[in-house]
Amino acid sequence: MALLKQTYLLLCKDLLLELRRRDSLLTMFFFGTLLLFVFHFSFDLAPDKIAEMAPALLWLAFLFTGTLGLAQLFQAERENHCLDALLLSPLDRGALFLAKTSFNLILMLLVELVVMPLFWILFNLSAWNLLPQLFLVTLLGTIGFCVLGTIMSALTLRARARELLLPLVLFPLMIPVILATIRCMESVLRHGEFGEAVSWLKLLVGFDVIFITVGVLIFDWVLES
Amino acid sequence: MTINKLAKAYGFLWALRDLNLDLPSGAFVALLGPNGAGKTTLLKLLAGMIAPTTGSILVDGATMAASNPAARRQIGFLAPSDHLYENLTVWENLRFFTSLYERNDRATSIESALAAVGLAQRRDEFVANLSSGLKCRVSIAKWQLLQPGLLLLDEPYGVLDGNGVDLLEGFLRSHCQQGHIVIMASHHVSRALNLCNRAMILHQGKLTFDEAKQQPWPTFAQAFGEFLPHGESWLS
Amino acid sequence: MTQSKKRKGILGGLALVAVAIGLYWSLAVAPPDAYQGEVQRIMYLHLPSILTAYLSYFLVFIGSGMYLWKREKRDDLLAHAAAELGVLFTALTIIEGSIWGKPTWGVWWTWDARLTLTAILLLIYAGYLMLRSLIDDENRAASAAAILGIIGFLDIPLIHMSVYWWRTLHQPPSILRPDKVPWENVHPAMLTALTISFVGFLLLYFYLLSLRYRVGEMRQEIKALRLERGA
Repeated sequence: MALLKQTYLLLCKDLLLELRRRDSLLTMFFFGTLLLFVFHFSFDLAPDKIAEMAPALLWLAFLFTGTLGLAQLFQAERENHCLDALLLSPLDRGALFLAKTSFNLILMLLVELVVMPLFWILFNLSAWNLLPQLFLVTLLGTIGFCVLGTIMSALTLRARARELLLPLVLFPLMIPVILATIRCMESVLRHGEFGEAVSWLKLLVGFDVIFITVGVLIFDWVLES
Repeated sequence: MTINKLAKAYGFLWALRDLNLDLPSGAFVALLGPNGAGKTTLLKLLAGMIAPTTGSILVDGATMAASNPAARRQIGFLAPSDHLYENLTVWENLRFFTSLYERNDRATSIESALAAVGLAQRRDEFVANLSSGLKCRVSIAKWQLLQPGLLLLDEPYGVLDGNGVDLLEGFLRSHCQQGHIVIMASHHVSRALNLCNRAMILHQGKLTFDEAKQQPWPTFAQAFGEFLPHGESWLS
Repeated sequence: MTQSKKRKGILGGLALVAVAIGLYWSLAVAPPDAYQGEVQRIMYLHLPSILTAYLSYFLVFIGSGMYLWKREKRDDLLAHAAAELGVLFTALTIIEGSIWGKPTWGVWWTWDARLTLTAILLLIYAGYLMLRSLIDDENRAASAAAILGIIGFLDIPLIHMSVYWWRTLHQPPSILRPDKVPWENVHPAMLTALTISFVGFLLLYFYLLSLRYRVGEMRQEIKALRLERGA
């Protein structure tokens, strides 16, 4: 399929660029870790309280880290008007959307893979066996974040105060994802399994599917002037 | 290439109105007109970067539309030192664009294109490290590989030095001779007229003049004289 | 006076009359609530406010969709006007709700589902207006806002679901929600007051919408004139 081929081509290009400079990845990683430290100093809590707050703190850290990545998302295209070069080529705009979303997703997943265990270590949490389930929830939530985030990042590309505007328009729309991931994670930590939180999981999956579809269909209009 | 009743409105303002055009292959068009006439809008419409409000563009019989990205394979836009990724090498840039356009992406083709512009030794240098003149050469190599049926240029003379100008004009001439169409918008009227075999004048969004080149060209002088406050002699 | 000015004048006049009658009915004719007393009368403003806001957001969605489809400036003007009015009426709703809440519950604010949702709506459409004002190119701003208008509207059911699940799974339903309308055992005068108020608000809304739309239109006309003059 031409769409997937083009997505793959663009994704490889972005990954190659990132491998060379590692600008986004390193800043995101350090920022995520920094937030963990800030949380530690801000919330001086007993260990069991930390376990309750862990999902929320983790997600806050990922949200802000992810927003950093989103701000950088189209950076390569802004130099030398490369975005125009892409728009004029036989590129399906949906492929650009999928490629950028996947790129941000990969970056965020790499950061999360490190920050989550780090969080466990720094805050002396147990229940290491639950990490895979927690990671599944994080994956679904991160997909939702990257999907909507890419659309918003492209929308605000030529706005003033872009770094402030992007979170402003993105976060209210992210509320279903935020609620769903944190409730799911809480349920896993409390009961050791998903249980009644399965409905939240379904909401997450639904959110992801809906907005990936919307994104692919609508990206034409997002980039047009 | 055929254009039917093309028009573009921004809000309540019409940037381009009622444009009808029929270009044969091998046409080299000099697109002239005062600032704000709609030249850039027309070029962007042709390039598929913006969508028309009404009307259609057909290239080799295929309609250019957002739903038909494949039609854009025939369209090229030469920006002399733009449209190249700074942090990729010359080779990687050419590889990327040829794969994207699904044309000539074999290593041998790219090599010979680079050799033709004298950049074979610099294939692994980052574009960021090249001067704008060299970037121009990379662009020429790029479009040489992509072979668009319709090549567009918007004020290319701004960033070029003497060498670059010669290279560019040589490329454009040979591209035209292969039967492709070139449309160049420029304020350098003398150079543009030298190269072209057809001239079009846009004024306030309307096409007011469209003729094949003649020697001498009194009709052109008259049409163009309406924009030039002081009569100049630019036709040799 | 031109035709449309006359029509707007009539609309405005009707709105004024309807609101006046509505106020009279709500304050003088309808009896005070059995539990809450006089404070409950704010419902006659509160409920129509939020319903008008919902209508407004729906119009933003329609306007955004039409604009992306047909690219006619008037759809964009409609969406913009509706968004501004939507934010206004939502803010009014929240303020009215606060005023109602303080004597009834003892607090200015509570995070129950409906209030939270209303606040989120306000944030989304305030963001819409910010997006418009921060993009300099007017046509880009219109396209971007239209996309946001559509995505925002599509997200609202999901937000609604998630906030309601959150609030009902973890908290007992709040005791007396001021916006809950008890259809049974209601004094007919109250219903009448509510209906008249609602009609009045609707008329008022469309009057304001037409005015705001006209302002947008005039801005475009000025732009066109300026450009013609300059060329």
